Amino acid sequence: MINSKEGEENSSDIGTIIKIKYEGEINMSYVSVDSLVKKYGELTAVDHISFTVEKGEIFGLIGPNGAGKSTTLNVITTLTDFNGGEVIINELDIQKNRKNVKQLIGMVPQDIAIYDHLNALENVKFFASLYGLRGSNLMQNVQEALEFVGLSDKMKMKPKQMSGGMRRRLNIACGIAHNPQLIVLDEPTVGVDAQSREHILNSIRLLRDRGATVIYTSHYMQEVEEICDRIAIIDKGQMIACGTEPELVSMVTDVLTVYIETKIPLGFDRDVFSRKVKLMPGVKGVSIEGYNIRVDISVEQNSIERIIQEFIAQELPINSIKSEVPNLDTLFLTLTGRELR
Amino acid sequence: MLQIIIKEAKDFLRDKSNVFFFLIFPVLLVFLLGNLLSNLDKAEDTIGELRIHYMVETEEIMDIMAIDAFIEGVSDEQNILFIKTEDLDFSKEMVGEGDIAAAIVFTNSPMEIQIYEGMDRIKNRTISAIMSGFSQINRAVNVIVKSNPIAIMDSMNSVDSGASFIRQKDMGINRTMLDYYAITMMSMLSFMSIMLGTMCFLGERQFKTMRRLKIAPINQVKLFFAKVLGLLPQIILQISILMIVSVFVFGANYSSNLLDNLYLFFMFLVVTLTVILIGAVIGLYSKSNPTVITFPLVWVMMFLSGTYSKEIFIDGLSQYLPIYQIQEAAFNLAIFGRYDRANMVIIVCLILSLIMLVIGSIGFSRREEQ
Repeated sequence: MINSKEGEENSSDIGTIIKIKYEGEINMSYVSVDSLVKKYGELTAVDHISFTVEKGEIFGLIGPNGAGKSTTLNVITTLTDFNGGEVIINELDIQKNRKNVKQLIGMVPQDIAIYDHLNALENVKFFASLYGLRGSNLMQNVQEALEFVGLSDKMKMKPKQMSGGMRRRLNIACGIAHNPQLIVLDEPTVGVDAQSREHILNSIRLLRDRGATVIYTSHYMQEVEEICDRIAIIDKGQMIACGTEPELVSMVTDVLTVYIETKIPLGFDRDVFSRKVKLMPGVKGVSIEGYNIRVDISVEQNSIERIIQEFIAQELPINSIKSEVPNLDTLFLTLTGRELR
Repeated sequence: MLQIIIKEAKDFLRDKSNVFFFLIFPVLLVFLLGNLLSNLDKAEDTIGELRIHYMVETEEIMDIMAIDAFIEGVSDEQNILFIKTEDLDFSKEMVGEGDIAAAIVFTNSPMEIQIYEGMDRIKNRTISAIMSGFSQINRAVNVIVKSNPIAIMDSMNSVDSGASFIRQKDMGINRTMLDYYAITMMSMLSFMSIMLGTMCFLGERQFKTMRRLKIAPINQVKLFFAKVLGLLPQIILQISILMIVSVFVFGANYSSNLLDNLYLFFMFLVVTLTVILIGAVIGLYSKSNPTVITFPLVWVMMFLSGTYSKEIFIDGLSQYLPIYQIQEAAFNLAIFGRYDRANMVIIVCLILSLIMLVIGSIGFSRREEQ
């Protein structure tokens, strides 16, 4: 299930690109995307993307604007035809079993897709009814969905009367009321307050715990880190990395940066101290600016204890110490570049 | 499908602008236009007496018999007076001065009907409709004569022949401008429904709900049809309200015959459904809001078709506009009880609807939402 590096690291204008090829067991996957190609005229929006999503997994799909995320999601949700490759959902080829596949999917689009003239109950009821639910079964599912997103007491409220967060939650309810096995969430937390975001993220976890498979996209890296079991990074229509968060982080850097604030006495030989620390195993670099000392150390050979012992030996007081671990944000910017798109 | 129909009906009725534009506005227009104009010029608002000079040049005995039977039958009506003339030039002069409504010549074999019309368009329409009726009956009679002369002689000898064929209905009703606008407002309502059609898919895009519909496991052709069909209850509601309010509140007349009124209702129903389908297809294929073009276009067509004033008619243009044709069909049906043009309108509309349904369904199932 773990992705393997193909090996080479190519330098380019967007930073270091690590080519990843999935070599997992396709039969075990709930969603399998293999060499997917989608073109719009001359533009190749998705260029041979391959990944799999396991059943009951929250799979994050991230990438800059125009990277091909939405196109990939559109293909998976049967909204868009594709030019090459294969997409299998629950062992069903989406091109050959379109109707059966549609029944399995619940889509929560990035844009709030609800009718302003219908109240919350009517909105959810209408969309659930498109999946063949009728009568008491329909009503039960609708009520459960509204309860799930915390809108059970706002059933009669129209979207216009709702806050942004409530509308987002209603948007989710409309996509999950028919109990889909695969839920595709395209930036479901855009423009919501902290409380609603927390509620939405907890709801997604709960959906996963209930057995649903979730594909999740967001521009909020913290969210993706928080809830996704595995993450794929897409850029310029190609997949550039895929794996768990620690796996991804280790792909681009193994350096941990430690900042120590101290008080350096007069006559203290900074160069000697620097050289001494630099010689410690795992230390990649030392710099001193004023009272702040920055030390880059290897994640694998964490020598922070030795560094602190050296401070004590040199009678340097430690006012504060903080470390900066490379996170998904750093990784994302490293892989996709920092320039504006 | 039922869920979609219910949803569409709720969408329509809960939108206050729809209720105003499609239910209240046409009724108000019937009242305002009908009353204002009928009070301004009462004399012009009625068809009044039709004094017509006619000259018979034909020497064919069957034609002469048919003309006599026709004149006798039509003259039963109090409003129509046929006067035989031998001086066509004088009669034409009288037409020019407005002393008589028209001068008609039944030419020699093969018989043709030449009508020298006056300036009153309503009277001209009436005379044209009457003579068109005669022409068709006469043609039928001629066919029978050629194939079985005995049959036509039997027919001509029977009491009701001629008159019963060619009697024009409702000539006794004192027609007012309210009647005119009651019909033109129905056609306006029908053609304004193009907005409902375009909005039915534009609305889905506006609410961003198109994706949800397209990923749902329902047949896309069925979905397209259901969305259009979902507008049907409101069309029935619109036309019914307009007809009922026009007749029972404002005192307008369509036809005195219930069957004709039902047929008129049906014709407008078919026309409206066709217009909605055309609008839906336009809305489906348009990337931007097409009402910016369709709405003014429909208004210009209505204006040139005499929807807002019977005086507006541009020869060589107006009569070719679909709205004009539909209004003419409606007038023929409501005033003269003639079904031929209404039948034609219905047939053309049904063919157009079918074409639109096919184009729309294909477009809906193939179009990708970016």
